[in-house]
Amino acid sequence: MIWTVMQTSWRRLKNNRSELFLTFIVPIVFFSIFAVIFGSRDSASSTPKIKIAISDTSGAALSERAVKLLEEQKSLRISENGRSNGAIKEGASGASTVSRSAAEDLVRRGMVSAAIVFEKSELADSANGLPKIEIMTDSFDQVASQVLAAIVQKAVMTANGELLKEKSDKFVQANAPTPANASMVKSSLPMNLVRTADFDANAGSSGASSPSLSQPPKIDVVDVIGGKKTNPVVAMYAAGIAVMFLLFSATTASGSLLEERENSTLDRLLCSRLTMDQLLLGKWAYLTVIGSIQMTLMFTWGAIVFGIDLLNHLDGFVALTLVTAGAAASFALMLAALCTSRMQLGWVSTIVILSMSALGGSMVPRYLMSETIQKAGLLTFNAWALDGYNKLFWRELPLADLKLELAVLLGCGFLFIVAARLFAVRWERS
Amino acid sequence: MTLSSISIPQSKPEASAVDTPALAVVDLWKSYGSNQALKGTSFVLNQGERLALLGPNGAGKTTLIRSMCGRVRPDRGQVFLLGKSIRDPDVLLQMGVIPQDLAIYADLTAKQNLECFGQLHGLRSRKLRERVAWALKWIGLEDRAHELTKGFSGGMKRRVNIACGVLHRPRILLLDEPTVGVDPQSRQRIFDMLDELNEEGTSIVLTTHHLDEAETRSDRIVIVDHGKVVAEGTIDHLIESTIGTQRQVTIQASGLLVAAPPGLEWDSEKGRFVCWVDNVADELPGILERIQKVGGVVLDLEVHQPNLHDVFLHLTGKELRE
Repeated sequence: MIWTVMQTSWRRLKNNRSELFLTFIVPIVFFSIFAVIFGSRDSASSTPKIKIAISDTSGAALSERAVKLLEEQKSLRISENGRSNGAIKEGASGASTVSRSAAEDLVRRGMVSAAIVFEKSELADSANGLPKIEIMTDSFDQVASQVLAAIVQKAVMTANGELLKEKSDKFVQANAPTPANASMVKSSLPMNLVRTADFDANAGSSGASSPSLSQPPKIDVVDVIGGKKTNPVVAMYAAGIAVMFLLFSATTASGSLLEERENSTLDRLLCSRLTMDQLLLGKWAYLTVIGSIQMTLMFTWGAIVFGIDLLNHLDGFVALTLVTAGAAASFALMLAALCTSRMQLGWVSTIVILSMSALGGSMVPRYLMSETIQKAGLLTFNAWALDGYNKLFWRELPLADLKLELAVLLGCGFLFIVAARLFAVRWERS
Repeated sequence: MTLSSISIPQSKPEASAVDTPALAVVDLWKSYGSNQALKGTSFVLNQGERLALLGPNGAGKTTLIRSMCGRVRPDRGQVFLLGKSIRDPDVLLQMGVIPQDLAIYADLTAKQNLECFGQLHGLRSRKLRERVAWALKWIGLEDRAHELTKGFSGGMKRRVNIACGVLHRPRILLLDEPTVGVDPQSRQRIFDMLDELNEEGTSIVLTTHHLDEAETRSDRIVIVDHGKVVAEGTIDHLIESTIGTQRQVTIQASGLLVAAPPGLEWDSEKGRFVCWVDNVADELPGILERIQKVGGVVLDLEVHQPNLHDVFLHLTGKELRE
């Protein structure tokens, strides 16, 4: 009996190609997609780099040398943003730095993950020419700030070492009459204990202040965005989860179109005054409204329970939610019009939505992905929606700063609904 | 071929008063790849007429029905509704379509379904309320108007399915197997409903697999096979023009019959004698006498009146359900 049950179940599975595909092929497809998204660390070009801005107003030789070293770091990418509006200035070393306020603005807008600021110190260190070092971070990228602190520390220490070496060379050359003597003097100096003031007095340097470091430099890390937030992670993930579930619910609801086709209701509908244009627009409007309500409920819950600041960003939220829900509705209808049955829609939408969500950052923040995958993520409208919500709730930018995201989502929505209409032509008259 | 070029058959005396056919299918051709579904199909439905459309499976009925309601674009030929081409956007509203599938929303109540399809056919406010109330009464589901249709019996769902197609008072009603899968009582109820509509002037095209329905519930019959109309007319006309009106007499006899009695043939399949007669009362005594004369004793006798089933089998070589 048990054998008969097993045999019958296997035969049923074997006769159902869709189920067979879902059981054995889809897991491999998913594995491959996720392996590509999160596992592509094989080449240097695809390794994620930390995008930063540098502000150096200290005028210290140490910071100038450190900036140069930072620019040579392969794990960093110095932002070119602001070059066009003159915010970036070429330093003496040729390095591109911006003003402190410009650097902070770049962090706030999400153009960079962090900014390194070198300023003249008003404390005792300034007497030794040591600049005040500050890293302005965006805790949206929780990895970058920690990695960057270590990199900056290393750069400053290395720069200090290089400067000390140069000064010691000059000192020795100035005080030793013969090269052999100079070499002997130099080798006898305990470098880590040398006071730079001694060198400064004799080196006759070009006026740049000289640093003094016997211990790792003090680096202030300031979270310029998330610092004041009570629960910064919630704002980040609310959008990701909301957009993913918006897509799932819209796709499920759009399956009614296929159900209507399967049971001849579509024939009956199209024999009435209703046209295919009206049918699709009616379903699109319904899905958009339902999606907007779904997003509103989710963010309202987030505001009440987790402290998301919804009230102060209501205009941006309404605009972004409407275009996101509209784009999701169009996308869902496009998938439905593309498929031939509800079952097919079920597995196609599962694969597509989970892949889009992974790529677009609904599951894992995009900054953790490789450069290539981050760029590929921009092909999904999830990424644009998430960027929009992050700008709104995380960076607290006004509605005017969401123009790009709104335009992209509107464009996506329009393209998807046009595609849905074109696919639906086959249902109008065969 | 144009509308004016096709002849309009008459099945009802009163139909002659109306010149324009309710529905005219003129030389329809349609192919799907190498499969030629329709090969020049033509027929008309007169105003106020009930027409049964019969054909074996694969004969092209579904394509024909979908062409009639504008859901299939024929390669050639036209369909006219009340003299106007169905390409005219308003003319289709004169037609009510009842698909074979239950084309209603199972997760809406009976009343909500009726309201939905009423609105889609242009009914609003008071008119809509009146028509929905009428429909609920007509299908006998007033007391269950607020229940979800997914909980209804097959017959009840069929009635809601039909009501959704007639709310807007169509002048032509197209029904694709409206009684499939329902019990005899529900079938009777559905045909009573359709008769009511017909009495009010609605012209009806009905496809069915029940030959008795076609015989008793239609004024005229159109038989389609291989994408063409192979016969059309009243049941009497079809019988007369195909197998003739003679009754078939089948006789089982015993005894020492050395030869077949004169005028009778031996049907080896049935193991009986067979003959055809024009008048049973006049000719049957003579037949029995001839059998007795050759030493036979009649054990059983059957007189069969030609019917639609015989016509259908004669024309298509298939049973209706084949």
